[in-house]
Order: sequence, then C-alpha cells, then structure tokens
Amino acid sequence: MSASEPPELPEEPPEVAYRRPAWVEPPADLVPGIVPVELILARTPQRAIGLSGIRAYPTGFGCTLHLRLREDIPGEQSNFGVFNMFGDGVDPAGEFADYYLRFGVGFADGRKATNLNQRHDFDEGPAPDPPTLWLVRWEGYDRLAWEVDVWVYGLPPPGPLAFVVEWPARGIPESRVEIDAGLVLKAARRAVPIWPDPPRR
Amino acid sequence: MPAWSRGPVDMVPGVVPVALLVARTDTHAVLIDGLLVYPTGFDFDLAVRRHPGLPRHHPDPRVWHELWLEVRFADGRRADNGPGPWPHPDDDRPPDPPLLYQSVSGPDGGHVWLWGLPPPGPLTFACHWPAEQIPPSQAALDAGLVLAAAARAQTLWPDPSPP
Repeated sequence: MSASEPPELPEEPPEVAYRRPAWVEPPADLVPGIVPVELILARTPQRAIGLSGIRAYPTGFGCTLHLRLREDIPGEQSNFGVFNMFGDGVDPAGEFADYYLRFGVGFADGRKATNLNQRHDFDEGPAPDPPTLWLVRWEGYDRLAWEVDVWVYGLPPPGPLAFVVEWPARGIPESRVEIDAGLVLKAARRAVPIWPDPPRR
Repeated sequence: MPAWSRGPVDMVPGVVPVALLVARTDTHAVLIDGLLVYPTGFDFDLAVRRHPGLPRHHPDPRVWHELWLEVRFADGRRADNGPGPWPHPDDDRPPDPPLLYQSVSGPDGGHVWLWGLPPPGPLTFACHWPAEQIPPSQAALDAGLVLAAAARAQTLWPDPSPP
C-alpha cells in the first residue's frame, strides 16, 4: 500500500436481528385472521367514533378507530385529543383527562386496557400483563377525520369483548359496544405464518 | 380535500374479511391488509414485512417510490403508483377511476386509497420491487367481497342537515 492510498476500512459489524416486543405491535411474520366488524361506538349530532376491521394474531389483535367531526368546529381537532392520551402521557387520568377521548377494551374476565393507563416506555422492561393497548398508526386527513390503528396485546377469553369510549367534555357518556370474543379467537387461529420454513441465510 | 382522494368522512367503512399475500421471497413479503371499503373506493395497507430473523434494513427503503404496485379490475382497467399526471387537488372534476392515491408511506409500507370500486370478478394486486429482489408477483381476491363491504358502509348522520 502506498502512502497515497487510503487505508482499508474495517468491515462494518453485521447488524443484529431485532424484533420489537410483542406488546408494541403485531407480529411481522404472520398474515392475520380478520373479523369484519363495523361498529359505531358513539355518535352525537356533531361527533362520532367508529371501529372496524379486527386483525387477529395469536398474541393479540388490532383494529381501526374512525374519529369524525360532522363539520368544522373552531378550535377543535378531529383527533379528539387521543394523541395526548396515547402518545405523550399528558396528564393521564388527571385534571384535564375529561378533555380527551377515552378508549378501551374490556374482557369478560374483568381485565381491561385503556388509553389512560398505557405504558410509555416503548420497548424496554419486562413484558406487561395483557391486555395492553398501543397506538400503532394514525392518519389525519383534515379537521374532520382521523384514523387511528390500535394494537391490543393479549387475546380475550371467551365471552363478550367490549369496546368502550367516553368523552366527558364533549357530552359523550361512557358508550359500550360488545362483540363475541369467540370471533376474535377463531380469527387468531386463522393467522398463518408468512415464512413457514426456517430462513435460508 | 377532493372526494376522490379519500373515503367519505361521514361514513364508517365496511371490512373485507381477508388479507392478501401478494409477494414473498426468503427475505421480504408484501401484504395487502386492512381493506376498508366505502361506496366510492377503498383503503388498504400496503405492508412490507421483513423476515424477523434477518438484519434490519439499512438505510430504510423508500417503499412507495421503489415498490411498483398495480391494482387491476376484471374489466381491464388498472391503476398503479407510478409517476403520472396527477389530478390537481383543487380540480372539482373527479378523475376517471381507478386511481391509486398514497397518503402515508414509511419503511414498512404505506396506507393507500383506491378511488373507484371494481366490477365483479377478480380484483388483482400486482407488485414488483427490483431493489429488494422481489420479482413480478400478483394475487387476486373476489371483487364481490369488496362490493359487499361497500354495501355495509354506514352513514354516520343520515339526516341531511346538522341541527
């Protein structure tokens, strides 16, 4: 090697395989089983919350919340404050909690997960006791409509599975819609692996 | 936003009860998931899955710009995500369906809106991703599932005027 040639750089170390924990998001290597639920969880003359499309896996299920304003309301966003509760940990269950949309799921055995008590440490620490609830995607079109994808870690036991919303500051009392958890359990059994064989390296 | 760029905001969509595996290699898979249908078109997730046992991709690919996606109707009409003349957002005249409109994109895929409903027959999703060695691949579902879901979409405020 002459003095004018650059020294050879050491090869970069191989990147380490990384999987986000099961309570943060659906498994990446499965095609989910789908439950075609189409629910209106709450509706007032100006605001509505819908829920659709349960995607079920052996570790839990996802669904989409549809947050809707009927018309533009000055000073109000159609995300219904759900970000503050889901993502930033702003005042969970505290003084201002009434001003945020509350969403949760309830299992037949009494366990529940809500956006008031979700963890905010992302993927550190031990696995939480299921169920837990995470925001995995959100998309706002304008001041009238938002879509929020939620991941519920943990499958419900047989019996009723409840979806609950409440927004005290906007006149939406606790509203509850139940489906048969058996639909979710059956769909979870329909999830299939994308790669049934070990990877070829 | 123009009507052709998203589903009606005053509706809850109907759900297609299947997810579709469009492509799979040893390292990658492309999945059509979360098919939510309105009377004017449908939303779906274009999900790029990487084999969990493999190293993380670096840098993250620009899925929407690199992965070619096409949706084909049974009558021969088709829409893809290639560069093309886009309708102007302020243009009141809706474009001829079908039209693919991507709203959110990241390394794990994107959220896509298709303006227009398919006629009965096979509804085909095709993709090709040379940068990740995904060859031309396709999968189809029965468009009847989409049309049935469109019929189940619910209007949130059926009365014509706000109080």
